[in-house]
Amino acid sequence: MARKIMGETRRAAAQGWTRRAALGLAAGLGLGLAMAAGAAAAAEKVAVGALRFTSHAPTFIAYERGYFADEGLDVELKFFQAAQPVAVAVASGDVDFGVTALTGGFFSLADKGAVRVIGGLMSEHPDHDGSAVLVSNKAWDEGVRSMADLRGRSFALTQFGSSFHYMAGRIAEANGFALEDMRLVPLQKVGAMIGALKSGQVDAMAIVPHIARPLDAAGAAHIVGWVRDLGPYQVTTIFTSAANTTERPELVRRFMRAYARGIADYRAVMLDQDRDPAATEAMVDLIHKYVYADRPREKAAPSIKAGAVHLNAGAALDVADVERQLTWFKKHGLAPAGLTMDKLVDPRFQPAGE
Amino acid sequence: MDLRVVGLTHVYAGAPVLQDIDLEIPSGRILCVVGPSGCGKSTLLRMLGGLERPDAGAVLQVGEPPEGCLNPLTYIFQDFALLPWRSVAGNVALALEDRRLGRAEIARIVDDVLARTRLSAYRDALPRQLSGGMRQRVAIARALAVRPACLLMDEPLSALDAQTRELLMDDLVGLWLREGFTACYVTHNLAEAVRLGHRVAVLSRRPGRVREVIEIDMPLEERAERMPELAVHERRLWQLLREEAAAADQELADV
Amino acid sequence: MSEPACAHAREGARPVPYRGGGFAPRPRRWAGAAFLAGLIAFWEMCSRLGWISPLALPAPSEALAALRDLAQSGLLAKHLGASLGRLAQGWTLGVLAGIAAGLAAGLFSLARAGILPLVAALFPIPKIALLPLFIIWFGIGEESKVATILFGTFFPMTIAVYGGVDNVDRTLIRMGQSFGLSRLSIIRKIVLPGAMPAILSGMRISASIAIILLVAAEMIGAEYGVGAYILLAGNLMATDQLVAGVMILSAMGLTVSWLLGMAERRLLRWRA
Ligand SMILES: Nc1ncnc2c1ncn2[C@@H]1O[C@H](COP(=O)(O)OP(=O)(O)O)[C@@H](O)[C@H]1O
Ligand SMILES: [Mg+2]
Repeated sequence: MARKIMGETRRAAAQGWTRRAALGLAAGLGLGLAMAAGAAAAAEKVAVGALRFTSHAPTFIAYERGYFADEGLDVELKFFQAAQPVAVAVASGDVDFGVTALTGGFFSLADKGAVRVIGGLMSEHPDHDGSAVLVSNKAWDEGVRSMADLRGRSFALTQFGSSFHYMAGRIAEANGFALEDMRLVPLQKVGAMIGALKSGQVDAMAIVPHIARPLDAAGAAHIVGWVRDLGPYQVTTIFTSAANTTERPELVRRFMRAYARGIADYRAVMLDQDRDPAATEAMVDLIHKYVYADRPREKAAPSIKAGAVHLNAGAALDVADVERQLTWFKKHGLAPAGLTMDKLVDPRFQPAGE
Repeated sequence: MDLRVVGLTHVYAGAPVLQDIDLEIPSGRILCVVGPSGCGKSTLLRMLGGLERPDAGAVLQVGEPPEGCLNPLTYIFQDFALLPWRSVAGNVALALEDRRLGRAEIARIVDDVLARTRLSAYRDALPRQLSGGMRQRVAIARALAVRPACLLMDEPLSALDAQTRELLMDDLVGLWLREGFTACYVTHNLAEAVRLGHRVAVLSRRPGRVREVIEIDMPLEERAERMPELAVHERRLWQLLREEAAAADQELADV
Repeated sequence: MSEPACAHAREGARPVPYRGGGFAPRPRRWAGAAFLAGLIAFWEMCSRLGWISPLALPAPSEALAALRDLAQSGLLAKHLGASLGRLAQGWTLGVLAGIAAGLAAGLFSLARAGILPLVAALFPIPKIALLPLFIIWFGIGEESKVATILFGTFFPMTIAVYGGVDNVDRTLIRMGQSFGLSRLSIIRKIVLPGAMPAILSGMRISASIAIILLVAAEMIGAEYGVGAYILLAGNLMATDQLVAGVMILSAMGLTVSWLLGMAERRLLRWRA
């Protein structure tokens, strides 16, 4: 009952301008009531922001297989087109948890005290295909054969301050030239990036393997390297609102436990898909409910399998790499100078599970 | 140059407007056309000026237009049809611009007609600054600038108030006495018709046919003084028109 | 009450009650500026008092500070230069093409039959939806940005000009014909000036649309430009810069409106 009151107070506050201030007040009130009421039996309502990508599979697994319910969480999935709006929704209290790459926008929200990283999800791993670096046929014909040759070349991004921007920075750094030595071309959408690469209007881009390989195989572009060769890279992280970490740490812990089970299931099957074909097919079925749902299963399955990503066991976060990313973003004026690791990361919630 | 209308018939979307019109406008004379509204007077005038093609019959020019005539058939419109963005002089000049006349020649003609219509003081005024009567004077000046063989006037005074109408009527009479132009003058005002017309053609209601053409042989310059005598003609015209007008008034408009 | 009124009052007479007035807004230059200033001051106060969370909206002073930083870094000129260049090209081409198409639709039956349905079908398409195609057609350079603005301004301009031409007083055209003017003269001296009020109001609308489309146009591979600056601010969640960018757009809108107002006063002096 206490939590119901809290939920209503939150909703009322969400309509006001000073949402965050009201949120703190409401949460404080709720905490007090929760303690007074003791252990509540009813499942707690939690909203999770999701994107229809294979890299979000643990969310779907934990939801479908009842891992959230096991933790007493009544999860509602809210779907978004991009990660940035999820972060905004978490900041405004409309969503509790999300997954995002570390971007300028996310750092800015963290600096404003709205969101915090609580775990790691996808990462580049030496034994697993991560993002590939592609060059256009035109650039290839002009002799671009490796990442080192990208000096003086154009490189497609979605936006400045995105993870693509950061990957460009890593490529430059690893090959001993400055980021300014590449011409960065923001094109907003991955589709536009691919179009520009195919037509030779940009020289290079980085992209997930299940897009990169078919392009390379079809002769539309050439893979000249892999981002994993540049060293460890924590690509996406799990995050929640700063208020949740301080006011409802137990809830966050339960969420992370359930999420880690989803990750474990995914890793067990998708990282070695031939070991138990039946389990793989079952996993594909589950993911297909959410990803490529507009395509028939037989067309979606290869993409889902090829799109298998490396997810960190136990949602472990590569804190050292996150710090490295933060430093890079700050250096390039893409993150607030005052943002510290303490403010960005709450390390108490991982590794979770096992 | 005379103007002759033979067997002119016209139908608008299935509705006959003019039927078997035969008319003659001899050079130097004014023919007035009266008829109830909607009987096809304006349509007839458009055909006289070659702005519209009749379904049957023809409008013929008999003889050559006089020497130096730039635009043999020239209109004067009821609503003046002045370009609001051009000055008085500019509006008059418009009629001369497509005629390979040279700048100086155009300026000379404009000055001349403005002087003749006593508009010289207003040459740079815009139409919106002028009264209705002055605007129609500008339109008359514009028509005179092209030295027409025949003026086609479609209710040129109908948009004006009664006093202005009188003044302009005097102007028109004076102008005719000096220049002796040929004209077809359409009006629904019988007093105007008997003031200005050497002959007055009465059209029936739609479809318009010529009911009668009456001859008024009193010289134009005497008519202002001999109004009572003219009233006889006016009464006769009214008798001819009365039933037509009453019947036309009852009809449903289907435009 | 004055003396005579007193006298009349004794007879039981009183002035007719006044019921007129109002419904006639007149321009009040300073009132507008004062209202805007008051609104901004109120906004600033709300921000300072914490009534508006900085997450929701930055204080105007912060936005102005971002604007000052931008100006001092010299980037403001670069952004403005890039955007104004694109606006000028796209808008001018769009307006000229729109005038041509509108004239054709207003004057020729065949052109009307072809152009009007096309405009009705294509005008409502959000140009942003066509961006991927524009990249393929026009590349990622200036051409696609100019084309976005051009397409955005062409349709409203066509509609405005067509409407204006259609509304030109037909007796004026008859008059031109009756004086033996050539077709070209009639278009140049009667139709175009007659449609000028509509053309100018079409320019007003299309200029606003051009500014609206600036952000969309600069989504494609733009390093500099006010739209690119706003997009970057959005990506970085830098709300102060975002609002600063929006302020620049507003200023551009005001400037364009002022310039067109001057053009209107000059070109439409003949109207009462
Ligand atoms: N362009 C047109 N198309 C169809 N009907 C017309 C057109 N012009 C005039 N009419 C019709 O023809 C009739 C005669 O019109 P009009 O010549 O203007 O009459 P009047 O000038 O004698 O009042 C009217 O009934 C009018 O509605
Ligand atoms: Mg008429």
